[in-house]
Amino acid sequence: MDFNPEKEQAAIQNAVREFLAKEAKTLAREAEESEDGYSRELWQKMADLGWMGVSFPEEYGGSGGDFVDLILILEEMGKVLVPGPYIPAIICSGHAILKYGTEAQRREFIPKLTKGSLVAIPALIEPVADTIQVPIKEQVKAKDGSYILSGIRLFVPYANLAEWFIYRAISKKRNTLFMINAKSPRVSYSVFNTIASDKQCEVVLDKVRVEKLNMLGEEGDGEKIIREINEWGALAYCGFILGLLEQVLKMSVDYAKQRVQFEKPIGSFQVIQHQCADMATDIDEVKFLTYQAAWVLSKGLSATKEISMAKARASDACRRVSLLGVKIHGGLGIIIDQDMQLYFRRAKAAELAFGDGDFHREIVAQQLKI
Amino acid sequence: MDFRFSPEEENFRKEVRDFLIKEEKVVEGARKEWDSGQGFGPYCWEILRKIGSKGWLCPTWPKKYGGLELPYIYRYIIQEQMHYFTNIYSTVSAGMAGPIILRHGNEKQKNEYLLRIAGGEIEFALGYNEPQAGSDLASLEIKAQDMGDYFLINGQKMFNTRTHYAQYHWLGARTEPTGPKYKGISLFIVDLKTSGISITPDWTLGHMRTNQVFYDDVKVPKEAMVGDINKGFYYILEALDYERVSTTAGLERDFKEIIDYVKESGKNKDPLIRQKIAELAIDIESARLLSLRVAWILNTGKVPNYEASMLKMVVSETEQKLVNTAMQILGPYGQIMEGTKWAPLNGKFEWRYRDSLEALVTRGTSEIMRNIIAQRGLGLPRG
Repeated sequence: MDFNPEKEQAAIQNAVREFLAKEAKTLAREAEESEDGYSRELWQKMADLGWMGVSFPEEYGGSGGDFVDLILILEEMGKVLVPGPYIPAIICSGHAILKYGTEAQRREFIPKLTKGSLVAIPALIEPVADTIQVPIKEQVKAKDGSYILSGIRLFVPYANLAEWFIYRAISKKRNTLFMINAKSPRVSYSVFNTIASDKQCEVVLDKVRVEKLNMLGEEGDGEKIIREINEWGALAYCGFILGLLEQVLKMSVDYAKQRVQFEKPIGSFQVIQHQCADMATDIDEVKFLTYQAAWVLSKGLSATKEISMAKARASDACRRVSLLGVKIHGGLGIIIDQDMQLYFRRAKAAELAFGDGDFHREIVAQQLKI
Repeated sequence: MDFRFSPEEENFRKEVRDFLIKEEKVVEGARKEWDSGQGFGPYCWEILRKIGSKGWLCPTWPKKYGGLELPYIYRYIIQEQMHYFTNIYSTVSAGMAGPIILRHGNEKQKNEYLLRIAGGEIEFALGYNEPQAGSDLASLEIKAQDMGDYFLINGQKMFNTRTHYAQYHWLGARTEPTGPKYKGISLFIVDLKTSGISITPDWTLGHMRTNQVFYDDVKVPKEAMVGDINKGFYYILEALDYERVSTTAGLERDFKEIIDYVKESGKNKDPLIRQKIAELAIDIESARLLSLRVAWILNTGKVPNYEASMLKMVVSETEQKLVNTAMQILGPYGQIMEGTKWAPLNGKFEWRYRDSLEALVTRGTSEIMRNIIAQRGLGLPRG
């Protein structure tokens, strides 16, 4: 039993922390205002430092690490809210191609992903037509060994940066995934304005022709692959959330120590102390549920239950801890020039990403066989 | 990073488990006695002696005092299994009094008590709390007066739970009335049959017996003092360091009963109930990881800081959530007591709902635990 990262992992985590503290402190705020929504420069530096390739085999330009290594890096990214598509492009798409792609696809995509020269994004979520008429009809038509695809996918992160999409084609309830060139003329996107200004998009395919060799996995494999993509994404977000919440607690404790009211630091009041204690408890729970899930996955075992336990707790903790952070900061908690509100908004986006608490609790219930 | 027991630890866990399964009759009897709220009865003593004779009550102790000189994690494994099968983690003598005697007692005390403690033959009842000294333990007032060749003790204790069946009182008493309160307390081992001691019960709503203890001109020999005079409060705090693990094994057992009930009753189709069950599973798993963390810290020879307080708070609050969830799932039937034909699960959760409050307010309330997390863990200033 060992609750600590290995020595080498801890050294990497420290290096990541120091690098980001120096290079990325103000980037989250700048990214919100920018067109791209991330820093191309930081992205390249992260790739040059090997962060993109951490969990990929050496033959594809990676360093052969595992999900524990990834989580420790993501924890540091969460602390400074590193903007950009690291989770969907590198972790989700990269691992989907690694596990389900053909050798040709692996050779084509993964070395570029690890070098930071290519962005591939999963486009999986179809619209629920409850209030808005969906303007494009879902279509998958096989024709002369190729396919004609039409459809709309929502909440596609950073479609603006994508060279490729991993597109989920739906026909007769069967899902098949295709690698779609994002630059082809019949593919378009538009960016949503969201609570965290994090470049979530609508992607539209309008009669796009795609060859069979661009299929990812076999026909009808989509459901299975998507389930795994969502697990990797959920776990990765747990790591990011862990760091985000650790930073919120640190900011709140620091503030409570120096903010004086009634001639005392507010951190000496039990109300504030108990709020901070509750935040710390939530965070430690998220931490070990997340570490355990990553550790199970790194052993090559199914971690479905562990990941959903972690993401359910992380999602709810996200909301609770960031709300307490705002309260402890008082008026400054709601001022746009201050960092606290940035964390509060990102916390909501992270809570929802790859399934919120309710979503993952239902998976846990299934895993408990009830 | 590794969240498993080692193969040797896993084997040991199986050995303990198999032993407790083999001793089913004694184990069941002990659990019934314990759950009755009356404390140790004949079956409890029998299982403790059996566990003790294997060296499992104090596995970390030196062999000459009845231990096995094993790392801390083995004690955790035994406590976990004991909790699961009997609801009794350990004894106060093995967990709190014994380690202080081992560390600060004189040779005579070590020889007199340690082998019997490790063998599961004797129990010490904690003698800390008083009517006006609860969370603020340093304000205890019971007076031990040095009379030259003995101490004369006068005063009152409250919530001294095991005193009606333990052989000894692990008594914190004031030996110095002036100066800072925490610098005037000494620890004594008092035979509870000594004349002048009277014990009267208080009953909890979970039907657990606790006691008030009255000392009326009780003469206690000089050699009953443990360690140095006026150092008692430090020993009390140190003893807390030795007994910081709570396990979730009992909660996991009760949770399984709830799941079985939900499946058998067809309530597993209700999405609200599925949400509640899953949330509880996550709570219990979080608590289990926090308990393993404290066991792991102790196993590496370190003393936990805020982590043990967090664990105590989380386990007791998870227990509270568990019984509350069970009551919600059972609906109006949940309030029916054992013995009535309509009582689901034989009224178990009606009782557990009452009984679970004890964990919330004893061994430091959740609020005190939050103070410790904030001040010791996060460095916030004392108010």
